[in-house]
Amino acid sequence: MGLGFRIGAELVAGVLVGVGIGWVLDTWLKTSPWLMVLFLLLGGAAGVMNVYRTMRGMDATVGLGQASRRAEQAKDL
Amino acid sequence: MANPIEQFKIQPLVPLKVGGLDISFTNSSAMMVLSVCLITLFLTLSVRSRALVPGRWQSMAEVFYEFIAGMLRENVGSEGRKYFPFIFSLFMFVLFGNLLGMMPIPVIGFTYTSHVIVTFAMALVVFTGVTVIGFARHGTHYLRMFFPEGAPIATAVILIPIELISYFSRPFSLAVRLFANMTVGHIILKVMGGFVVSLGAFYLVPGVVPFAFLSAVTVLEFGIALLQAYVFTILSCIYLHDAIHMH
Repeated sequence: MGLGFRIGAELVAGVLVGVGIGWVLDTWLKTSPWLMVLFLLLGGAAGVMNVYRTMRGMDATVGLGQASRRAEQAKDL
Repeated sequence: MANPIEQFKIQPLVPLKVGGLDISFTNSSAMMVLSVCLITLFLTLSVRSRALVPGRWQSMAEVFYEFIAGMLRENVGSEGRKYFPFIFSLFMFVLFGNLLGMMPIPVIGFTYTSHVIVTFAMALVVFTGVTVIGFARHGTHYLRMFFPEGAPIATAVILIPIELISYFSRPFSLAVRLFANMTVGHIILKVMGGFVVSLGAFYLVPGVVPFAFLSAVTVLEFGIALLQAYVFTILSCIYLHDAIHMH
């Protein structure tokens, strides 16, 4: 359950947050449904990136730059 | 037959309503109060003697203290020391919530970490706190982390929203990880317990099989209770580290 569950949670969290942001922006700017569609795709990308980071062991890191630096540090050690 | 979901039901003990808002004192709040009382009692009573050579209780309290202090030192560094009280409280609260949820406590027995709103509230406090600390220490420079250095500027249009969403998804994955582990574990325990009762009542020997399995799962659940408290705390430490040392 451990790793598989974590991967699933990361993927779903990315998509859900993306859709949530899109929906809030839509109701605020009255552009329904276009921003939600856009942010659904971006959320999916963010979810895939979260999964990629989890698999590389950089799941807790913020930002891509920091994540790749941490990976390099891990390589040096 | 016991319903495996029934254990997660919030039952008001002292019904209370303020302006249409239900703020009843429930079994969940009772367990939270109980765990805070137990933590306070445990820590104050065990270190009361202040012995140089610690006794049994004092060394237990010192194990927790050393564990969190070491975790902060390794993951955040020396600047992390001032956040020790918060991280320690967070760890003890989650740990006692998980472990007390495994105890058969009459009337108020409940696992408050099995409710997503509880874990989400804790994750949101961590997330908000870390973001505020990041902005307080680095100012608008903190926003730099949403765009990796050296990336072509044209990719900013797509990279920054993705990084933002990834950043905002952190409290969700932090909360869901703890809540789902606790919920799933307790449902498995209940379902297996149901098998033991229904099989054991009619045929004694087949009843032994789920009972043996239930015993193993109970041990596993205690392990998960410890592990998930650890994971929740260490992730908070790592978020804190990234907010303090940005580069």
